[in-house]
Amino acid sequence: MRTMRFAALLSVLTAFGAEPDRVFTETIRPSLEKNCYGCHGVGQVLANLDLRTREGLLKGGMKGPAVTLGNAASSLLYRAITGAGVLQMPPGGEDKKLPPEVIAAIKDWINAGAPWAVAQAETKWDSKPEDLWAFQPLRKPQAPAGRSAIDGFVNAKLAGKGLKAAPAADKRTLIRRVTFDLTGLPPTPDEIDSFLKDPRADAYARLVDRLLASPRYGERWGRHWLDVVRYADTNGYSNDFERPNAWRYRDYVIRSFNDDKPYDRFVREQIAGDEIDAKNPESIIATGFLRAGPWEHTGMSVEAVTRQMFLDDVTNAVGVTFLGLTVGCAKCHDHKFDPIPTKEYYQLQSIFATTEFARPELPFLPRENTADLASGKSYTNRLITETKNSQARYDDSVRALTMKKHGVSRVEDLPKGVLAAAIREKEGISPQEFEEFKLHQKHMQLYRESVDRYEPKAFAVSSGPADGFTDGGQNLRYAARKDYKIPEVHILPGGNIQSPGDKVGPGLLSLAARYSGFPLPEIPDTIAGRRAALANWIADARNPLTARVMVNRIWQYHFGRGLAADSNNFGKMGRKPSHAELIDWLASSFVESGWSVKSMHRLILLSDVYQRSSSLTSAAAKEKDPGNLLLSYFPPQRMSAEMLRDSVLAVAGELSLESGGPGVFPQINEDVARQPRHAMGSLQPAYHESPLKRERNRRTVYTFQQRSLVDPMVDVFNGPNLDVSCENRESSTVPTQAFSLFNGQFAHDMALAFAARLERETKDKRVQIRRAFELAYGRDPSSDVGPETRALADLMLVLLNSNEFVYVY
Amino acid sequence: MQTRRNRLITATPSRREFVFGGGMGLGSIALSALFAEEQARAGVLSPKAQHIPAKAKNCIFLLMEGGPSHIDTFDPKPKLAEVHMTRFQKERSKFAAAMNTGERYYVRSPFQFQRAGKMGIEINSLYREFASVVDDVCFYRGLQAESVNHPTALYHLNTGNQFGGDPAVGAWTAYGLGTVNQNLPAFVVLPDVAYPQGGAANWSNGFLPPHYQGTPLRPEGTPILDMTPPPGVTVERQRANLDLLSKLNAAHGAKHKDHEDLAARMESYELAFRMQAEMPGVVDLSKESPKTLEMYGIGGKDRDMDALGRRCLLARKLVQSGVRFVQLIVMGWDSHDYIEKAHGARIQASDRPIAALIKDLKRTGLLDETLVVWSGEFGRSPDNGIRRGGQAWGRDHNAGAMATWLAGGGVKAGTIVGATDDVGGSAVESIHPIKDFHVTMLRLLGLDDNKLRYLHAGRQKQLSQTGGAVIRELLA
Repeated sequence: MRTMRFAALLSVLTAFGAEPDRVFTETIRPSLEKNCYGCHGVGQVLANLDLRTREGLLKGGMKGPAVTLGNAASSLLYRAITGAGVLQMPPGGEDKKLPPEVIAAIKDWINAGAPWAVAQAETKWDSKPEDLWAFQPLRKPQAPAGRSAIDGFVNAKLAGKGLKAAPAADKRTLIRRVTFDLTGLPPTPDEIDSFLKDPRADAYARLVDRLLASPRYGERWGRHWLDVVRYADTNGYSNDFERPNAWRYRDYVIRSFNDDKPYDRFVREQIAGDEIDAKNPESIIATGFLRAGPWEHTGMSVEAVTRQMFLDDVTNAVGVTFLGLTVGCAKCHDHKFDPIPTKEYYQLQSIFATTEFARPELPFLPRENTADLASGKSYTNRLITETKNSQARYDDSVRALTMKKHGVSRVEDLPKGVLAAAIREKEGISPQEFEEFKLHQKHMQLYRESVDRYEPKAFAVSSGPADGFTDGGQNLRYAARKDYKIPEVHILPGGNIQSPGDKVGPGLLSLAARYSGFPLPEIPDTIAGRRAALANWIADARNPLTARVMVNRIWQYHFGRGLAADSNNFGKMGRKPSHAELIDWLASSFVESGWSVKSMHRLILLSDVYQRSSSLTSAAAKEKDPGNLLLSYFPPQRMSAEMLRDSVLAVAGELSLESGGPGVFPQINEDVARQPRHAMGSLQPAYHESPLKRERNRRTVYTFQQRSLVDPMVDVFNGPNLDVSCENRESSTVPTQAFSLFNGQFAHDMALAFAARLERETKDKRVQIRRAFELAYGRDPSSDVGPETRALADLMLVLLNSNEFVYVY
Repeated sequence: MQTRRNRLITATPSRREFVFGGGMGLGSIALSALFAEEQARAGVLSPKAQHIPAKAKNCIFLLMEGGPSHIDTFDPKPKLAEVHMTRFQKERSKFAAAMNTGERYYVRSPFQFQRAGKMGIEINSLYREFASVVDDVCFYRGLQAESVNHPTALYHLNTGNQFGGDPAVGAWTAYGLGTVNQNLPAFVVLPDVAYPQGGAANWSNGFLPPHYQGTPLRPEGTPILDMTPPPGVTVERQRANLDLLSKLNAAHGAKHKDHEDLAARMESYELAFRMQAEMPGVVDLSKESPKTLEMYGIGGKDRDMDALGRRCLLARKLVQSGVRFVQLIVMGWDSHDYIEKAHGARIQASDRPIAALIKDLKRTGLLDETLVVWSGEFGRSPDNGIRRGGQAWGRDHNAGAMATWLAGGGVKAGTIVGATDDVGGSAVESIHPIKDFHVTMLRLLGLDDNKLRYLHAGRQKQLSQTGGAVIRELLA
């Protein structure tokens, strides 16, 4: 019975979902205008009920809200027009009663969340049904027959094209593929050996489980997430000040993946952890997501501009990251392609109107790496002291010059206040000295920001100002909590802050409700609770986008390409999914699994589709499916920049597997390290490598992510742009990659370390080469090279540069 | 042109040798894949037709980092002498930067001005050499920036987006026109001693493929990062390593015949090797005549002039060698104080090299097919705040008025377009935003901003972001 009612409801919703705008505009709105507005809108607002806007409807009148979203039966409006309650509307008896088809339409409309189509939207967005696939209610489709559901879906499409699937990859290829995929590192020769020798039927499933349980897994998959959320350890722009506690967010992300934290919780924590569960330190650290974008305020910045910069960044980041919607496109004008009016962009933005920066005290968790904090702190403090001491000489000069100017020989003889003023203004010193002074001042300012990275604080937000908060060198004035007024958010036509349009309150995107039938919840307009409401809406299983967007990302990182190829854009302009039903099946399974990311890995990795060989089955495959969108074979992938650097370190025996803690400073190109770089009014200090090898040789995810100085090797191998969300890595081939890996000092040093490792392990040339191939390629050398080819270090350099090393099959 | 072709041809046998060498022949499928890939790769950077016929095919963008004062260079304001040191109060508001508010006073220009050229424009008298080329230049006084903050304004001028992350003008140009010399980068940057605020994002390829990224050339040592192996590794040893690499790659390729990326990656190593061979010749100034060196101010006493002279001469050589877009950065224009000294030094150091660049381009016939643009990220204010006791004169940032000039193919030379008010506070005639300036630069290079689009993350993107207008008055 229950199931039947649910199915019936679903069919109504879907029927309505098909053309809600039309029904609203053609039937409901005219009827409201004709029969209701006379008393509740135009000219008079009886009983305080204004039916001209959705807001008015929801706010209701003296008797409370006119509708309960999603529930017509308990809605005042519906009860009034059907005469089911005390009220009978429109007044005037049976004669005035609305026609039954209008009443039915209103019922469906309220049940569908009362989407309020704006008249202009009717003509503006000519959305075709295929443009709106991602907004439809999520249902689990029946999988076609196959060894697994995934295989069923993929093979059905292949069969439709008359394509054959490639045979299964051999075990050696498979362990290399899945180890790189889940951990970003090559399998060791021992790991390969034991997998090859494991005769059990579930040897591969056991391998997957072992890899998913490895702490290396979170480091690899956390990095994917950090790409999407534009993570960096610095602010960007002019001074590029450090965000001294941002690393705790990076580690939070890695922990969350390792713990298989349910994704809905992961979403809630990052958007509103402070509002939802303030007692849980992880929830506070998680909100670092909201501040991850580039942001700076200086004496030359306009306060309203920098605030707007944050609001725009965070609004778009939430849209892109969790919903796969480029909401930022609606900032200046209505979204050109997706039904997102500018007004709704600013309503969404209004959710963050009360979001203020915070840096609360937050004791370190037992799981956080605090081992090097004390030594790191004393190192940074030493830099500060040394710089400060070297500044003293300018004051000495000023003192001498001032005494000379006033013709006195003792400081005490100077008129009161003169010396202090002179020192403050650095009077009399040469412009050259003044530039040096400014340089040191700048360095000191930067170091002072950095020293906080060792403190138990969080890079976080609060709703309304956090009392006592100052933001280091940024010079922004923050209101005290008691004086705080909720900032107004206005529509900014053309994105121009100087000519604000209508004021808007917090709200969500109507398109998400209009097609899915999942009603939009109310967003409170209080100081706190706005983000919590948003987070709960996003992390709700009924939200049509959230699960789809995430399973598509997971698929993308396994296969190099999402089922929907633009993983940050599920709107009209995003490429349409190659297997729409598979996305829905995966998304439904994701929700069923309790939003477990590791369950999704298991589903995907244990499918035949994932375990296929990467060879083409026929020339026809190339013609019929040139991009391999149908996945007749496994697409080979070039290592990402991080995988490459980490793998080079690993095979050379130099990788340090320590986890977490403040960012480390690896060896980078020396010219780049020394290249002077501007900071506002002066220069940045030169790049300093971490003093210890075990720090320098940490995994790349733990390296300090500085917006104005990216490791050039990471950069040339298509590292992520740190300023905007990176939905997927490119893997283009450019000659500067050859320069970096074939000529660069790091590659040469690692080749030497690799050779030294082999020398340590054995003196036998043949065994050395055999071992080198096993480490780098995971196989025997067969007859590729003889032992006398090149000096060992040269051979190692060549191996690290070879196609077999950098591509994963 | 001939020599360039020859280089490519002579490079071919070495590639063949590399394919067949080492006794590991590739299958015919892999070989054809290699050539297909090579074509595809060349397709990324191979020369492309202009959208609209235009004279200029290359661009040299002289970026004056810091915001040069229009008032003290090319747009004098005698009125300021009358109101000099007059104090007034500017309210602090959330729409104004703290630096531009509070107690302010007007500042006259400490410089003398001269009338230059047939056009008779008044410019700073320190421009001794540049005065002789003003008739080749179109001065534009109507441009307005949108940010008074260096990094955002620099990103805006360089990429069309104040908040960074998008492709630079040079990347867009390389994407639109390709490049004629495949052995050199299409877009080269000649930074000053320090990288500008905001760093390498100023010459980013953004969402465009990385082939279009600006390649900074370093003034000393190897011009491109890691272009040569570490000390101690000879060319012969490197070649032997490369041969072993191609042997391993060939054996591997034979097992993965369907994997087309492999050939492209093999070829990229050969291309790198060719670039390594060609680049030193391009950047080598030692073969230039003493007359040329002297013309650019190279080898003189002024070290700043010498360094800038080298970069200006290099810009000419790069364009001549087939580089599509050269961006040359001159820093040090941010004169909040000591403007007489600081701007004076900048003008003196840059006067001769930049004038020489125009003359030299003209002499070699390149000026007609090259667009030269000179601009800062914004202009400077007619007034200043109290700083260091108030004795030091300077100017703050001003997005409302600035000085820019253009020269070369398709530019309306010998004219002044637009005007600023009588103290230089704001543009008042022919006012255009940065995006229009970008659209105009593209138009002068034969590119239509509305056609020069790239589909990224499901959105057609373009330099002007949302479209802009060509500033017609700047065109001949």
